[in-house]
Amino acid sequence: MENLLKELQYAKLEHQTRRHFLQSCGFGLGALGLGSLMGSCSASSTEPNASDKSVQSGIPQFAPKAKRVIYIHMAGAPSQLELFDYKPELLKYHGKDCPAEFLEGKKFAFIQGVPKMLGPQGAFKQHGQSGAWISDYLPHLQKVADEISFFKAVHTDQFNHAPAQLLMHTGSPRLGRPSLGAWTVYGLGSENQNLPGFMVLASGGRQPDAGKSVYGSGFLPSVYQGVQCRTGGDPVLYVSDPSGMNRNMRKTTIEAINQINQQTYEDVKDPEILTRISQYEMAFRMQMSVPEVMDVSKEPQFILDMYGVKPGDGTFAMNCLLARKLVENDVRFVQLFDWGWDGHGTSEQDNVEGGLRKKCEATDKPIAALIQDLKMRGLLEDTLVIWGAEFGRTPMQENRNGLVMPYMGRDHHLEAFTMWMAGGGVKKGVTHGETDELGYYGVKGRVHVHDIQATILHLMGFDHEKFTYPFQGRNFRLTDTEGKVVKEVLA
Amino acid sequence: MFDILLQSTGWSLFIGRFHPLLVHLPIGFLLIAALLETGRRTNKVNVNALTITFILLCSAIGASLACIAGYLLSLGGGYDAVLLDRHKWQGIGVAVFAWIAWFVTHDKFQKKIPFGSKIYLGTFGMAVVLTMTAGHDGGSLTHGEGFLSQYTPEPFRTLAGMPPVKVPLEEIKPIENIEQALVYQDIVQPILEMRCVQCHNASKSKGDLRLDDMAFILKGGENGPAFVAGNSAESDLVKRCLLDENDDQHMPPKGKPQLSNEQVALLSWWIEQGAPVGKKVSELKKSDAVKPALASLTAGGATNQEKAPVSPVLSLKVDQADDKKIDVLRKAGLLVNPLSQDLNLLEVSAVNAKGFDDLQVPLLTNLSGQIVLLKLGGTKITDASLKEIAKLKYLTKLYLDRTAISDAGLASLKSMQYLEYLNLIDTKVTDNGLKSIAAMKTMRSVYVWKSNVTDSTVNQLSKSNPRLVISNGISESAVAQFLQIAKSTDQDSTKAR
Repeated sequence: MENLLKELQYAKLEHQTRRHFLQSCGFGLGALGLGSLMGSCSASSTEPNASDKSVQSGIPQFAPKAKRVIYIHMAGAPSQLELFDYKPELLKYHGKDCPAEFLEGKKFAFIQGVPKMLGPQGAFKQHGQSGAWISDYLPHLQKVADEISFFKAVHTDQFNHAPAQLLMHTGSPRLGRPSLGAWTVYGLGSENQNLPGFMVLASGGRQPDAGKSVYGSGFLPSVYQGVQCRTGGDPVLYVSDPSGMNRNMRKTTIEAINQINQQTYEDVKDPEILTRISQYEMAFRMQMSVPEVMDVSKEPQFILDMYGVKPGDGTFAMNCLLARKLVENDVRFVQLFDWGWDGHGTSEQDNVEGGLRKKCEATDKPIAALIQDLKMRGLLEDTLVIWGAEFGRTPMQENRNGLVMPYMGRDHHLEAFTMWMAGGGVKKGVTHGETDELGYYGVKGRVHVHDIQATILHLMGFDHEKFTYPFQGRNFRLTDTEGKVVKEVLA
Repeated sequence: MFDILLQSTGWSLFIGRFHPLLVHLPIGFLLIAALLETGRRTNKVNVNALTITFILLCSAIGASLACIAGYLLSLGGGYDAVLLDRHKWQGIGVAVFAWIAWFVTHDKFQKKIPFGSKIYLGTFGMAVVLTMTAGHDGGSLTHGEGFLSQYTPEPFRTLAGMPPVKVPLEEIKPIENIEQALVYQDIVQPILEMRCVQCHNASKSKGDLRLDDMAFILKGGENGPAFVAGNSAESDLVKRCLLDENDDQHMPPKGKPQLSNEQVALLSWWIEQGAPVGKKVSELKKSDAVKPALASLTAGGATNQEKAPVSPVLSLKVDQADDKKIDVLRKAGLLVNPLSQDLNLLEVSAVNAKGFDDLQVPLLTNLSGQIVLLKLGGTKITDASLKEIAKLKYLTKLYLDRTAISDAGLASLKSMQYLEYLNLIDTKVTDNGLKSIAAMKTMRSVYVWKSNVTDSTVNQLSKSNPRLVISNGISESAVAQFLQIAKSTDQDSTKAR
């Protein structure tokens, strides 16, 4: 009887340890586990192993120009007409009715009836030797204008945030596809064994509208999904061992769990179990590496000043600094999201005047600092920095419900918006594409989201048409059946 | 009469295009009949002679249908006449011999023909042989001559006495002196060669148009002349390139490599100038539109900006590394990755092996013929290692940041042939070390932040060598300057209120 009780107690303890671990990994690491759980639903065991793929995972098809990526996504979509796309002609039409040809057969998220045109709110000037137009909303970016190449006429298919974000990051407006970062790590492999190859940092108080799928792994093995870290406080919740649990004990626990998982794998041969095993090991190593890489206290004060951060403040600026630290440690893909750019004109925050200025003040300096910082460390040569949103904003003033809005705002616009790239393999100071006089349509160098994706993959050494993954009977690619490399911006 | 009717209604091509489908029927039937016949005669299979006769009937019918469809398809035109003629008669031969072979074995007729059994094997054999030759010629007609053997690998190529692989022109070689270049021979013809001639040549002339020689370009094709001298806007050669890619008339067809904007500009400029043969660039008037396009043909001259130079190492043929040697490095904790799938070059990184030291460095020289990038940032190596590292003959990028490297070690690197990038951040390197590095002709970028290098030396070296980027990082005063926002004083900028 006593033996039996003891055994029961042991069993209970055993369970508790395991559950405790999962629980304590909470947010970031727990998401990994959950991801692999959900992933295993879709990846049937008949799916070929990652190593049998026609694309050799971990090796680019041709010598890449960009080895690492920092992708800055301004969730909500800032107005290109206030920041980069200077339209003096639009000023002349300020307050006049929108021409009928802009409205016929068009659908907008909120605009109804005949809206008024809204002139640019920023003061524009050309900057650098390249003469790039940048407004006074972004005074610091002006100073690095010559490092940047602009795409002035990007267009998309989706006018709602979540599907447009999915399209931008996964190539499809529907759920279930791998994100750009997942494709990247699948294609190029991960270098630093103590850190995930794809890391995500979000700021602005909210996650992107499309949720974790914008940095998910879709049908790729879930080991390729983005791992999100918190920017304030502990980078990963409960990353440090609780009292009473030392590192050795943690190690033996994980070894035991992995042994059981390995046995299960040998029984059922589900590749997702291998993912699970490697994630446990990674989580264990991250307990040491993540607090170290996320610690900015050793950065010199003038570097902190350049970004404008105070240790532990969890702002976008901090994320920029962390992004540099991560790529410095050979993390392959760092995705930054910053929420709060949806300037409809509905409130003091969401508009293209004061509200947008505030957002720019919080992000302009750190982005410019990031580019300078990467450059002086010899990292910008092979690190690609991408800035953009899911769509742009209309040249018309939003008139939600046919009413005059309390602040100046613009609706979602999919015909033309601006993105920029800098660094790894991109020309310096080139402006590709042009919009019409009112900034409505792209008239020259019009590129689709899929073209942007094809270009990014090209820079990383992949032919987007041949970089595929077999799933459910067909080869999938990031750009689906579209996309053309924008050769004009390749260095 | 009949075919005029067919042609005018489009029926001829409709039926004709079934030819590639129908031809496979007699091929299959004849081969199976031949196999069964062989099997029957060698007593390997138990098959009734009637069965074979029936299959022969099917072959004969199939071959006849294929002949009719083939004839209708050929009316569409665009095929090499000699080859087509040969293919036609071979095809008809197959049908005729198949009919005879069937005829002489058929119950009803067999007895009436006394010599039937004697010619049976002969005609049957002829039908099979002609199937093969007709099939091959048919393949040559659709895919172009030499399609089958185009990718014959060595050593079979030499054994068969074939010329070495002719790689289609992928990129026009940079022209050194653009003013002295011949417009047609050096610019226009290579563009056509690269993008058009594949379908418009002697053996495959789509639309009856050949673009492999000026004489044929002048002749034009079934849709009229290829160009109107002096008027590029009315010239098909240019117009079709500019049409929407989804347009049926667009050339090159959708999915084939397209002409670049510069190439179209060059073609239309040549036509605008009267499409001369034998004139030099300097003899023609240059429009604004063609200037950047011409510039793009010169060595290193990209569109509106200089192309980043590509390391010559990437175009070298390098032997594949021995897997065992790679494994030795991996066991030492180093990351060893191929640069790409199409090259045998390797990248080596000590990101996961911070304890890597001088004693382990000699391991690297085992792969001295492959390593192109070496990251040793933050490791325990010292100056002693650099002598070994200098033996990595193809090394283009070297990261020595956060190590104990000093000027003494850098001296060993001077002899390196391809080194372009050197990261010396947070080392003990001084001005002298930097000077020796800056003297290397291949060097493009050197990073010396947090070393003992002075700004004045960096400035001086940067000035005397504009191709070299030396970055000494950012100082506190530079950050202070960066943080200041320039007051917007410009007059032209405007905003709506």
